[in-house]
Amino acid sequence: MPKVFVGMSGGVDSSVAALLLKEQGYDVTGVYMKNWSKDLPGMKCPWADDLADAKRVAVKLGIDFEVWDFEKEYHEKVVEYMLSEFKKGNTPNPDVMCNQEIKFKLFFEKAMGRGADFIATGHYARVASPSRLLRAVDENKDQTYFLYRISEEAIAHTLFPVGEMLKPDVKKLAKEHGLHNAYKKESMGVCFVGEVGMKDFLKEYIDIKPGEIREIESEKVLGVHEGAVFYTIGQRHGLYLSGVAGEVNDGLPYYVVAKDLEKNIVYVSKNLNDSHIWTKELKLKDVLMRGEAKDVLVRLRHRAPLIKATFDGETLHFQNEIKRPAAGQSAVIYDGEICLGGGIIA
Amino acid sequence: MRMIYLDHAAATPVAAKVLEAMQPYFLDEFFNPSAAYLPAKKVNADYEAAKGEIAHAIGAKGNDIVITAGATEANNLAFTSISENAKVLYLKTEHDSVRNPASRFKHEEVEVDQNGRIVINDLKQKIDDDTELVSVALANNELGTIQPLAEIATLIRAIRIERLKNGNTRQLLLHTDASQAMNLLDINVARLGVDLLTLNAAKVYGPKGVGALYVAHDVRLKPLTLGGGQENGLRSGTQNVPGVIGFATALKLAKEHLNGNRKKYAEFRKILLDEVKDYELINKKHALDNFVVLCFDGLDAERLIYLLEDREVYVSTGAACAASKGVRSHVLTAIGLTDSKINGSLRITLGETNTKEQVHEAARIINEVVASEKARIHA
Repeated sequence: MPKVFVGMSGGVDSSVAALLLKEQGYDVTGVYMKNWSKDLPGMKCPWADDLADAKRVAVKLGIDFEVWDFEKEYHEKVVEYMLSEFKKGNTPNPDVMCNQEIKFKLFFEKAMGRGADFIATGHYARVASPSRLLRAVDENKDQTYFLYRISEEAIAHTLFPVGEMLKPDVKKLAKEHGLHNAYKKESMGVCFVGEVGMKDFLKEYIDIKPGEIREIESEKVLGVHEGAVFYTIGQRHGLYLSGVAGEVNDGLPYYVVAKDLEKNIVYVSKNLNDSHIWTKELKLKDVLMRGEAKDVLVRLRHRAPLIKATFDGETLHFQNEIKRPAAGQSAVIYDGEICLGGGIIA
Repeated sequence: MRMIYLDHAAATPVAAKVLEAMQPYFLDEFFNPSAAYLPAKKVNADYEAAKGEIAHAIGAKGNDIVITAGATEANNLAFTSISENAKVLYLKTEHDSVRNPASRFKHEEVEVDQNGRIVINDLKQKIDDDTELVSVALANNELGTIQPLAEIATLIRAIRIERLKNGNTRQLLLHTDASQAMNLLDINVARLGVDLLTLNAAKVYGPKGVGALYVAHDVRLKPLTLGGGQENGLRSGTQNVPGVIGFATALKLAKEHLNGNRKKYAEFRKILLDEVKDYELINKKHALDNFVVLCFDGLDAERLIYLLEDREVYVSTGAACAASKGVRSHVLTAIGLTDSKINGSLRITLGETNTKEQVHEAARIINEVVASEKARIHA
């Protein structure tokens, strides 16, 4: 019987992944990765409940279950990376980093050291022999956007049991097998930030330094903010602008178009055609590719539509102007349904 | 009811008579006890009478108790009796609602033996001239171990006299949390010799969120909540009239059932000990009769809980709050159990919802579940 360690988060997807592996005859051990357990103001970290959910399912399936503690490594590799990126004015994606450094590196290596033939997770993605990462059957749930940086070695030894399924069928299967978490609410956003939101999380770690909000065209001061790091380019929501005396407010929303981290100034504009918002090319850094292609498909956000582009190994060129994603986010590159890799938007 | 509930130390259902006694005070008798008109005065009189009954149940007067929202608040309130630079001592096996307020002061933990009983000599050694409070639960919430409170009180009294002889006027108080003991022990504050005593309605078939702190005459507390000055200024806020009426009724019923309970739970406990197979009994001596802690060394008790849950048998490992934090029980650690034994320990707490048939059935189901886990491991 091939031996597989399946990462179980307590959610329905990884529970069904474990169930399918068990049914397929693997020697399955469920593992809860304890990456974060700290409560934040206004939000109790649900790790203990999630762990209990995962364990309850493992017991129901009659499989072994273990807790692997990666809190120290998660803090070093994911949280500190995230904070340093924010401090540089970028908008990083910690989930991409978590998959690269924790789930498909530390977890993978530990499992292999324990004699595993495979690891498995509840991600919506597929693997084609020997080491190609493919988008999930359920296009709506595809999670390759978060997985593009994992190594070929890990891909070659990974199973994504729910990647062949549609989400409603996953839920149905969970219900049919009496798994209590079939209807558990999906975790949203970054797991440890949860519902309090990134801004509240960052406030715990980054000092609040008030600064000016200026209109980019006129340099006019429109209001104040709590720190430029808390704002993302393209953001519309959450700008508390005071009106400018003597001007008629036309009611149009402002967008963040630029930040000056040194002077702690956030620049905004009402002009939706502002050149800061639109671009025809994106320069990437930390490019990681598992194959070559010139004419590619690109995804700029999880679940965003695929856009045609050409890639020269460093820069993506688009036919039409696209809304510029924030620096620090990922551009993920596909050749058909193969996820070739991608890079971090510079 | 098909389910077999064996976790009465975590929560008890509200007794029918308790609910019945409370109901009018949610509906017709809803008045604020502090209001001026006669119907409100009547509610106030009923409230005070109920407080009197609660106090009477432990050999005290209504004025000696402060109503709180449960035992945790009562324990916290008890710690307001001491001065800032004082030292506090508490038993190593105390509940977090004692350990956490104690941690704000100079504090030390008093050792227990392998049965979870206080090591009196250790207490004696640790009481120094700065010690103002000693907190020892009458019965432990994970093991049911009953502590020799009267013996502790005798020691404390002797030290007080010694202090006065030496011109040290610092107070030395004895606090006990009696939450788990109320169904099986006849509690009397004078006999126990305590200065502060915590009660909890939720553990005696009363409503959740209602508790009380007995406070001896010469003990001065500071309020945790300020406002309209209710409860002699020690706990402001409109009184929880139905809760207190329910609490009084629940304590009255507990008193009535005391002797019958002891006999009944001793018999139930024996059935479990006779019929469950291949375990080690953890709380062998000095335990409340309704507490049965069984260790299946080598097995994972949490897995057993989920397997039993599937069969509608509800038990726990240690305290519910400790389990939800995913930490190993400090109580089982304190009595010197190995990690492997702690992981294999199940806490069964019997109560009013149980029948003899249920206990036989529970033993049978536990045996099946344990056998299935052993089979899985050896497969």
